[in-house]
Amino acid sequence: MHKTPLLDQLESGPFPSFVKDLKRLAPTKPAVNDLLGQLERSYKEKITHWKHGGIVGVLGYGSGIIGRYSDLPDEFPGLEHFHTMRINHPSAWFYTTQALRELFDIWDEHGSGLLNMHGATGDIIFLGTRTEELEPAFQKLTAKGWDIGGSGSAMRSPSCCCGPARCEWSCYDTLEACYQLTQEFQFDLHRPSYPYKYKLKFSGCPNDCVAAVARADMSMIGVWKDDIRIDQSAVEAYMGGELKPKGGGANVDKLDVQADVVDLCPTQCMWLEGKTLKINNRECNHCMHCINMMPQALRPGTDVGCTVLLGSHAPILEGAQMSWVIVPFMRMEEPFDELKELTSNITEWWAEHGKNRERVGELIMRLGMRAFLEAVGLPPVPQTVKTPRANPFFFWHKSDFEAEDAGRKYHTTK
Amino acid sequence: MSERITDIGPPHYSKFLPPVIKENYGKWKYHTIPEPGVLIHVSETGDELISVRVASPRLITTLFARDLCDIADKYCDGYLRFTSRHNVEFLVSDKSKLEGLKAELVQRGLPKGGTGHSVTNIVHTQGWVHCHTPAIDASGIVKAVMDDLFEYFGSHELPAQVRISLACCLNMCGAVHCSDIAICGVHRTPPTIRHEVLRHLCEIPTTIASCPTGAIRPHPDKTLKSVIVNEERCMYCGNCYTMCPALPCFDSEKGGVALLVGGKVSNAKSPPMFSRLAVPYIPNDPPRWPDTVVTIRRILIKYAENALKWERVGEWVERIGWERFFEVCEIPFTFQHIDDYKFQAYDTYRTSMHFKF
Amino acid sequence: MALPKEELVEFIYKLVEAAQGKKQLKAKDLEKMVLKEHPDQPKNDVKYAIKDLIDSGRCVYTYFGGSFVEIPHVEGAAKH
Repeated sequence: MHKTPLLDQLESGPFPSFVKDLKRLAPTKPAVNDLLGQLERSYKEKITHWKHGGIVGVLGYGSGIIGRYSDLPDEFPGLEHFHTMRINHPSAWFYTTQALRELFDIWDEHGSGLLNMHGATGDIIFLGTRTEELEPAFQKLTAKGWDIGGSGSAMRSPSCCCGPARCEWSCYDTLEACYQLTQEFQFDLHRPSYPYKYKLKFSGCPNDCVAAVARADMSMIGVWKDDIRIDQSAVEAYMGGELKPKGGGANVDKLDVQADVVDLCPTQCMWLEGKTLKINNRECNHCMHCINMMPQALRPGTDVGCTVLLGSHAPILEGAQMSWVIVPFMRMEEPFDELKELTSNITEWWAEHGKNRERVGELIMRLGMRAFLEAVGLPPVPQTVKTPRANPFFFWHKSDFEAEDAGRKYHTTK
Repeated sequence: MSERITDIGPPHYSKFLPPVIKENYGKWKYHTIPEPGVLIHVSETGDELISVRVASPRLITTLFARDLCDIADKYCDGYLRFTSRHNVEFLVSDKSKLEGLKAELVQRGLPKGGTGHSVTNIVHTQGWVHCHTPAIDASGIVKAVMDDLFEYFGSHELPAQVRISLACCLNMCGAVHCSDIAICGVHRTPPTIRHEVLRHLCEIPTTIASCPTGAIRPHPDKTLKSVIVNEERCMYCGNCYTMCPALPCFDSEKGGVALLVGGKVSNAKSPPMFSRLAVPYIPNDPPRWPDTVVTIRRILIKYAENALKWERVGEWVERIGWERFFEVCEIPFTFQHIDDYKFQAYDTYRTSMHFKF
Repeated sequence: MALPKEELVEFIYKLVEAAQGKKQLKAKDLEKMVLKEHPDQPKNDVKYAIKDLIDSGRCVYTYFGGSFVEIPHVEGAAKH
């Protein structure tokens, strides 16, 4: 066993220790012992000892395997190859122990036994195996009904919140939408043919538990168009202190409905009449604050679907972007044809025009929102912008003049 | 190829849902959080599901994961799930098993929490454990920070929920740019060029194309078959090193931690917000990064003391103003805080759910 | 004139072979190069011709900051 005096200092403390855990496995897995050794070296030198590999994979796929090699293979032979396998997770990360044990059996046999539950995109991450183990591991996985996920310039494994499986706020079936879109784009998930990554995330409501607005090129966030459902007797119970705000998730004994809910409504669309809560729903911007505060009194409406937002990514390269509204409301019912078609149209336009490593949000910045909207057949709607432009530098196209000559505005033709 | 199975995608989630979820799918009425780490969802049918949320270090072994399975078999009929922040959730259908589960978690040293107004698990990347471009480790810093903030994981003491995330370099695999507190690894050294190796290992055009800021050019001396780097344009992302191993750009001394604060993704009250630079650089100090830990604690405590009820970190900072934030948190303001990187008309696009039908 | 499947596969293989070591080509680059020579070639043909080359092992996908189609070669980062 390698000596790890620095890492040993991470064994103490109340939060679960990865060092303690890895040390349990090290005696039976030489690769894990070597990983601890190399990590100790990194802690001493304050530098990484990994090299990127770009070629390894399983036959037929260009996704799901990330090549990794130690730059100290003579010292740590167990890390000579230490590739990652991404296993596409089931919607909302629900498991049975039987299914998990099958996965772990495969990984104990063909890999290091180290994993992440889960990676940033959502996949189960198997960390560390040799090139020759990839194909046998893959075949055992598919025999048990599992497949590997996306990586590289491809559709990435879509992910979703727990939705209607365990949440009263979900405005559509995030699990089924995630599953169906994943199935629809299997070819593009495994055979990278896009300019760069394309991530789909499905959140059931504007609380956005999977951070779709920040972490997905295409963000489907649940929304309702009708009235917030109110149980007035429960509102009274909150006023009386019988019910705790946020279901008990805050150290606040009694909710002050006027100060904590009504006064903090960003659109000021609610008020109290005695002990009755009134909402002018037409002016509600569905921020979720009142619903979060009083989960037993308020629920989203029943005329539900999702908003499609597009373009978010981390700061590389033009600076971080959040997704912005492109379709304010889309009905989300099986088989989700409208969303599948929109996704295909967008990825096709982006693949045609995007440069290597250019995310769809950056391409739209480069070519313009009009070019994008026209290409995918979406009309301009005010919900897309926070504010119209402040400059007078706008363009007129031939189509605008033709429409004008025909006595109509261009975009009323759709 | 005929015997190979491909493109089957993930298994359908319905295979993994406990019966109480199958029966109440889409029928949930409300939830309560009777104590930190315990959620009770109540259905229109009157059925209840108890979820017990537990911390996980994200980087785990199959031994640890099998332990989780043993617990789920004993108390949850074999059903469990993971959250988007790497917590484990034990799904208890039989109320009578809750106390036993809680006792066993204590005995195994598995902390429950991460609900409501807590600091929940830190979303993070691989760091020195498995990444080729990190400026910092991930798991070690996360462990050190969570040990220090442990009291806030298992309580609801804070004015609102606090989401901390870590990315080990500015490529931000973890997309941490909308977190209440973001820990981001930063390099500060342009690549050194190993000309004698580069000509054998790397394709010149693809190496040049790898640079996002166009800082790499062919070497004027064509016989060298190498490149030059305009160091002023380099922002140390390491992409060239990904393409070409002859361009190492990391050193032991200059890498470290940057802290960004005030981001959120939820639409509650205020729109989603980006995290903004608070501390541009804290030197690497393994194994426990004490400066980083102390600075994060100071920001969190100042927030907890000064924010109004329900206010997220970013909402608090916006209310008091950034100049006050730097003053209160005793953080010096530097040239690095002033943005001089390109950005576009993008800020006119709506990034929120705040609109009307 | 659109190429029959076998010829299309060989046409694409030659493009990859000619670019090897000079320029890494993405699947989309290959599609654009095919369509330049054979404008009536359905895009789906190109997609499945590349699949054919990958499935047979004559070409592989690589990832170096972007995904490319290349002739299999020894990994630069691996220990030789």
